[in-house]
Amino acid sequence: MRLNAALIAIPSLLSLALPLFGSSYQIYLVELILINVVAGIGLNLLTGNCGQISLCHASLIAIGAYGTALLTTRLGLTYALALPGGVVLTTLLGASLSYPARRLSGLYLALVTLGFLEVVSIAIEEFPNLTGGVRGLKLSPPEILGRPLKANGLYYFVLGVTALAICAGWNIQRSRYGRAFNAVRQSVIVAQALAISPGRTKLLAFAMAAAFAGLAGGLFTAVVGFIDPTEFDISASLHQITFIVVGGLGSVLGSVVGAVVLTLLPEALRGAKEYSDVAYGAILLAALLLAPKGLVGLAASLLARVGRKAPLP
Amino acid sequence: MSLLALDNISVSFGGVAAVRGVTLRVDEGEIRGLIGPNGAGKTSLINSITGIVRPGGGVISFAGHEITTLAPDVIATRGVGRTFQHVELFRDATVLDNVLTGLYRHHVYGIAAAIAGWGRARRVEDEARREALALLEAFDLAPLALVPVHDLPFGIQKRIDLARALAVQPKLLLLDEPISGMSESEADAAVGMLRDLAEQRHITLLIVEHNMRVMMRLAARITVMHQGEILAEGPPAAIRADPAVVEAYLGEDGGHA
Repeated sequence: MRLNAALIAIPSLLSLALPLFGSSYQIYLVELILINVVAGIGLNLLTGNCGQISLCHASLIAIGAYGTALLTTRLGLTYALALPGGVVLTTLLGASLSYPARRLSGLYLALVTLGFLEVVSIAIEEFPNLTGGVRGLKLSPPEILGRPLKANGLYYFVLGVTALAICAGWNIQRSRYGRAFNAVRQSVIVAQALAISPGRTKLLAFAMAAAFAGLAGGLFTAVVGFIDPTEFDISASLHQITFIVVGGLGSVLGSVVGAVVLTLLPEALRGAKEYSDVAYGAILLAALLLAPKGLVGLAASLLARVGRKAPLP
Repeated sequence: MSLLALDNISVSFGGVAAVRGVTLRVDEGEIRGLIGPNGAGKTSLINSITGIVRPGGGVISFAGHEITTLAPDVIATRGVGRTFQHVELFRDATVLDNVLTGLYRHHVYGIAAAIAGWGRARRVEDEARREALALLEAFDLAPLALVPVHDLPFGIQKRIDLARALAVQPKLLLLDEPISGMSESEADAAVGMLRDLAEQRHITLLIVEHNMRVMMRLAARITVMHQGEILAEGPPAAIRADPAVVEAYLGEDGGHA
């Protein structure tokens, strides 16, 4: 119990106090981590819990980012309205992916989501008047309640939203819907025998994954101030998958740990210069081989070996 | 009126007939045995009742309504529950979580409540937990509530499977070899438990089971399947004495198959 409290308290305090001692670059880096945490929680519900493979998580982040951006620039909405608007738009489009998922699974579903990724990136590139095309879209700082949100204000906003997203992810996972996700992942036939509809459950999982992705995208526009299609390509999708696999599938804490470790890793490897990519890959492989249940799973089994049971969220 | 009525049900897989024109009635409150040699079509019949396999012909009615073409989860919602021959529990989840998953349909709250995690969601979850623990209590599983299922022996897993199936509140429970893999004493305990289900919870049971000794003690009537068809039906003693049954099934390995 004390361990769990420390696990929550220490990173919370550190992140709250960051503006006191961190450089603006460090703050920016933590903002990116937080955005990846939000997106990762969504993907982990879909893949880790519900067992649906998606290669288009980055496209959903893109829809959230472009949706939020266009609602502010084109429709003149304030960021406080555009962000939820982007989330709703992403949720609706993401939910549509559950339709093929009713019949397809595994590699076939992966291919459909890959198709979705292509469609989204082509759509962004082919409508330059709207989206800025390959040249991207520059955005002015977001405004909330008529006041521009920048530097520390923006940081605390992102931190607060992330905290809420973590709580939401936690709650969903422990709810009847979280149990339905897990049931569908493990056996569709057993889920049905327990009166759980796989179709509806997948719909919900895709919608939720999309909602978190849309939120992450909306935060991204505010933090980076510039979006272009290369941010949301297949490699971004694969990064999202590595986050949750390395962190721990089916665990909110896993999403957090994965996003933190893998966003910081390239920074830590900067000293290795031209070998940094190799080192990144090697560390990734080592993590997967040594911790097949993710870093969170590894930590749990180490703790269990020491003789205490820490129920990890 | 019968709770379950099968009329002229046929099931085939790629031209091979597994079930051929089966007509069957199971009355409310009854404990019915379903026996037959391997490949007789028992599991195919169970799968067609639960909707996993769609019959090629015939009509299945449950509680007076046709369910022949309904989706399996809808059939389960109507009150047809089942357990699995090879115990298909959620292995990494705890015993409690397995049973809680079975309460999905009867402890309901919305998505917004689930996300917020308080209010109605909290209340219903507390209720569900109490009910799940009561079920575990009834099956002597309460001390194991927080143990992951994969650590537990097979006989106990069978009991968890049964508790989870009951969480869905079935009116009819289809049990696919509930005793197999159990020791003699476990089997005896299971017989008592199943009889309690029927008598105290008023659940109708349709039991596929090879253990004749158990069937004789449990079922009031036994239906015998052979090569996809119904060969005989009647009280256990009559079934044992039926020369056709002995020929097709019991004779094969000394009457104890």
